[in-house]
Amino acid sequence: MKWAVLTFFPAAALLLAQNVNYQPDTKWRAPEEAAARKNPLADKPELAAGGRKLFKRNCVECHGDSGQGLKKAADLQLPVVQDQSDGALHWKITNGNPDRGMPSFSGIPELQRWQIVLYLRTLKPGATENKSPAGEPPSR
Amino acid sequence: MHLAFFRVRGPKSRILALTLLIGTAASLHSQEAPYFVTYDHHLEEPGNLEIATWTTVGIPRSGQNLFFAPFSEFEYGVTGRWTAELYLEGQATSGDSAVFTGWRLENRFRPLKREHRINPIFYFEYEGINEATKILKEVVGNAEISNERNAELAAVHAHEIETKLILSSNIHDWNLSENFIVEKNLSSDEGFEFGYALGVSRPLSKLASGKECRFCLENFNAGLELYGGLGSTNGFGFHETAHYLAPVVSWQVSDNSSIHFSPSFGLTNVSYPALLRFGYAYEIRGFGSKVARIFGGRQ
Repeated sequence: MKWAVLTFFPAAALLLAQNVNYQPDTKWRAPEEAAARKNPLADKPELAAGGRKLFKRNCVECHGDSGQGLKKAADLQLPVVQDQSDGALHWKITNGNPDRGMPSFSGIPELQRWQIVLYLRTLKPGATENKSPAGEPPSR
Repeated sequence: MHLAFFRVRGPKSRILALTLLIGTAASLHSQEAPYFVTYDHHLEEPGNLEIATWTTVGIPRSGQNLFFAPFSEFEYGVTGRWTAELYLEGQATSGDSAVFTGWRLENRFRPLKREHRINPIFYFEYEGINEATKILKEVVGNAEISNERNAELAAVHAHEIETKLILSSNIHDWNLSENFIVEKNLSSDEGFEFGYALGVSRPLSKLASGKECRFCLENFNAGLELYGGLGSTNGFGFHETAHYLAPVVSWQVSDNSSIHFSPSFGLTNVSYPALLRFGYAYEIRGFGSKVARIFGGRQ
């Protein structure tokens, strides 16, 4: 019994964790209020360097070194992501989409999550300001 | 490490590849709370494996012996809402012996999809341990500080079920966590035992610097834990229960590893006067898919 438990659970866990190829989740949308939030660091673009470090630590495994997207997560350089508002991206980082494999990063301090948003804007050259609020398409 | 560059055949090659994978893979877990006993609502990221070694050192009262209780933890993110952990534990007591004290299989489930003001997590653990266990991963029931020898204690096996309701909130970068514990020893008629753990913590810096740095404040997380027993169905309350107050600190040493330290202070006369806890955790990102690649599964 003991060995059955010890064998079954890890095997089942590994199988369940295998990635299903990325498909956009059309239901994953930030609430309007969250999407309308402005990045409090928007006038401090130099803080994007810290965002880059956080991105490398937390995001590259799924989204790739330069956010180009891998099999299981969205290409963050695409307009479908970049056209989302800062608030929407911040909300998605904060809440995640656990049923699709995107963890919640609410444990990262609030301002550091905004730093990640600052860095995400640099993934698309020339696009550093706030984009249109709510109603954005999903990124993962 | 891209194992797709070579093909591994045979069980020995696969075990070797798995060992190399564990030894070389890199990752990070920057949002981990510094707690030793309290759980917050953050689960392991899906597919990641965290390997950690923790130690509890018990500072005895006069007439008792110092003990050293290490345990290993293997924490795996099964899905975005389910984290499973395997623990292997031991114990050594000065003037006595060193013994293996058992294993635990723990599961945490997140019922809600989004972040809320209070985030619940359901915790379920099966323990195949013996009475020599002293890792004090949780404190429940009434306190018993035994002077029996390890050989006698290790001969008494216990199968226990432990459940927790974990409630956790992130408020302005502070984490507040409350755990309510119910434990049942299936091997003896002890009734249900109760306990609690409360934790508060926060990172020492709100912003991340642009440079790579080891000693920046952003790599440190500090807080305070309070935990103890609440008796059992044979007598609920604080009578003859152990309680501890513990400052906690964690240091993100590198992108994939962290060091944790906590001195705990006993608050009642049946608590150990002090416990020193320390640990090292190493996370392997994308472990599940890398293992699948080794064994020829889907990526």
